[in-house]
Amino acid sequence: MDSLLVRSAQELFSRHASSEAVRAIRAGGSPGSLWGELENSGFLDALVPEEAGGIGLGPAEALPVLIAAGRFAVPLPLGETMLARAVLGGAGEAVPQGAILLGEAYGDAARVPAFARADWVLLPRDEAALLLPAGAAVEDEAAGSPLGRVLRWPEGAGRRVPAGDLLVAGAWAEIAVMAGAMERILEDTVRHAQDRQQFGRPVASFQAVQQQISVMTEDVFASRMAAQLASVADGDGVARLNPVRIAAAKLRVGEAAVRVAAIGHAVHGAMGITEEVDLHLLTGHLQAGRMRFGGEAHWGAWLGRRFLADNTGETLAFVRAQLGPAAPEASA
Amino acid sequence: MIGALPLAAIPPEDEALRPEIRAFLQEAVGEIPPERRARSWMGFDPGFSRKLAGRGWLGLTFPKEYGGAGRGAFARYVLVEELLAAGAPVSAHWIADRQSGPLIQRFGTEEQRRFYLPRICRAEAFFCIGMSEPNTGSDLASVTTRAVREGDGWRLNGAKIWTTNAQHSHYMIALVRTSGAPGDRHKGLSQIIVDLHAPGVRISPIRDLAGDAHFSEVVFEDVLLPGDALIGEEGSGWMQVNAELAFERSGPERVLSSAVLLDEWANWLREVGAGEAAEALLGRLIAHLAVLRAMSIAVTGRLVEGESPIVEAALVKDLGTEFEQMIPTVIAETLARPGLVAPGSLMRTLAYTAAIAPSFSLRGGTREILRGMIARGMGLR
Ligand SMILES: Cc1cc2nc3c(=O)[nH]c(=O)nc-3n(C[C@H](O)[C@H](O)[C@H](O)COP(=O)(O)OP(=O)(O)OC[C@H]3O[C@@H](n4cnc5c(N)ncnc54)[C@H](O)[C@@H]3O)c2cc1C
Repeated sequence: MDSLLVRSAQELFSRHASSEAVRAIRAGGSPGSLWGELENSGFLDALVPEEAGGIGLGPAEALPVLIAAGRFAVPLPLGETMLARAVLGGAGEAVPQGAILLGEAYGDAARVPAFARADWVLLPRDEAALLLPAGAAVEDEAAGSPLGRVLRWPEGAGRRVPAGDLLVAGAWAEIAVMAGAMERILEDTVRHAQDRQQFGRPVASFQAVQQQISVMTEDVFASRMAAQLASVADGDGVARLNPVRIAAAKLRVGEAAVRVAAIGHAVHGAMGITEEVDLHLLTGHLQAGRMRFGGEAHWGAWLGRRFLADNTGETLAFVRAQLGPAAPEASA
Repeated sequence: MIGALPLAAIPPEDEALRPEIRAFLQEAVGEIPPERRARSWMGFDPGFSRKLAGRGWLGLTFPKEYGGAGRGAFARYVLVEELLAAGAPVSAHWIADRQSGPLIQRFGTEEQRRFYLPRICRAEAFFCIGMSEPNTGSDLASVTTRAVREGDGWRLNGAKIWTTNAQHSHYMIALVRTSGAPGDRHKGLSQIIVDLHAPGVRISPIRDLAGDAHFSEVVFEDVLLPGDALIGEEGSGWMQVNAELAFERSGPERVLSSAVLLDEWANWLREVGAGEAAEALLGRLIAHLAVLRAMSIAVTGRLVEGESPIVEAALVKDLGTEFEQMIPTVIAETLARPGLVAPGSLMRTLAYTAAIAPSFSLRGGTREILRGMIARGMGLR
């Protein structure tokens, strides 16, 4: 099941999310054909419970699809739409057509990623959420940046819907996509180091370069593991995500993203600074993703407080009980 | 290139060992002050090792016919994790249980297994590892200690250094040259079991920077050893040593060396309260611990399946020791505030851990050597 899903995701993205297609969407072109493929693939209802007409998969099964999306720097909110549909479908709400972004409150406005295109924004509001049509939003240019656009709607806009913890849900989608982006950066960096020649030999033959790529490899493996830990469904939030797991993983992946992006750029040299090479699509995503749904300091303090308030005892006992590789009931 | 590590979990039958171990440890080490428990797997106490043996917890993975418990790698994982988290003084039996015993089981003759393994399980045979020499560190293939055939046995000459516990151990498994010259590199190397009480063995403890004398220099002067001192095949020493090192690199001991300090600090924060900055640091350390533990368990899962995840193990060790070194660094940073009153035991635990931490990324292969192995795994060399 798992590998079938991954294979079809990879096939879909290599066909319909080429570098040119991704760049065209980012530049304002229509995402229609890629989105149409995603709709037909069935991925969008992966996390919607079976009783609500979905496929009823858990986050662990959906993870490889989002990792694949991250590898291709897909500029559409695939994971977020999956989560939003799970929230809406699970609550018996009508699920709209189209891509749904999870917005973050920015005062009374919403902050959303600069390059992601969507039809809807689901924005947390007073213990519930507003489902807002993206087309009706007014962009606050002064507050926006490449790290996020700021959108505002007229008073009374949107439909009020019940919502779980959208911060945790959104963080999970970012964790997955960032882990995927880092895998691709590693592959691109290894290839570049092998191809690029200086002093009469590939730069990959220099020990200083090798050691840097080894550090990058470690962070990429750790991020993949963090994403897998975050996808163990033993919580009671959206898709049974567990905030303790999300806290640990978002933090770890955010830390890794800094080193992976830095080393990727260092090894690519000036070529990596160009618009032409895909590296910046991926590192740009890491920078933006690191700042969405809480970064290292936010989740670190949250997790630290959680540990201190818990009476499990030592750190290892806490990790075993709450952050183990399997749901507690499975390993009890 | 190496592939991602799938999530693996400790099987329930092995998890089931944990409560009994925890109950035992509460009684056995609860009274030892943290600055001593911080010695982690360098804390030497033969009496404690005998207590564990009494419980059947030495040689947990050795076959029953040799006195072991016939359990799998995950049972030992649970045991070791609890021992290290508690800061139990495991050093006396550590190398025999982790490394020498499994090596003898795998490459030894039936007589060698029958002789050594039951003694290891009873905490009557402690082992040390003789790889490094005064002029041989990372470049292990350059060893010059030499064993020459003499009659049915061997005559041994040379010197080993940094040998942890040599002065307390019964045996050393030494990597020595049995044929050829140092220029032949890994050809002509063999592993040999040296009875450390044999005439001609001179052991001089070396004091370390924390004031302990846990390692030694060992000089061999015409030491005569019986023929069955050879372990495994003559000339296969290099292959055997590498098989041994893979097991040594990805266990809980590459993640938990600073665990006692981390818990002392966390417990103190629980008592006195923590500000946002300390909370964030604590959360950061917990996140790293969780991810590393999952990676270490995943590598163990591969070993259990009979694979040889050498590169993945190197990766866990490098990341794990970085984490172990980060703990004293960041805790020192938060405690260095004018006017702060922190308990003496916490400060002594910090002082020891901070002092010894540089060794974490030397023992078992240096950071640079491990990163070289990872680079090879990634096809860069
Ligand atoms: C606490 C402790 C316990 C130990 N216990 C034992 C024991 O029980 N038995 C035993 O046999 N040994 C033991 N050792 C020794 C340990 O295995 C060695 O320290 C280790 O192999 C490194 O060798 P070295 O110290 O000679 O450093 P060197 O090999 O001299 O290295 C010095 C520096 O040069 C770097 N370097 C070396 N070669 C390369 C290269 N090719 N590329 C890039 N950089 C390189 C190293 O990474 C390091 O930074 C112990 C060490 C410690 C610290």
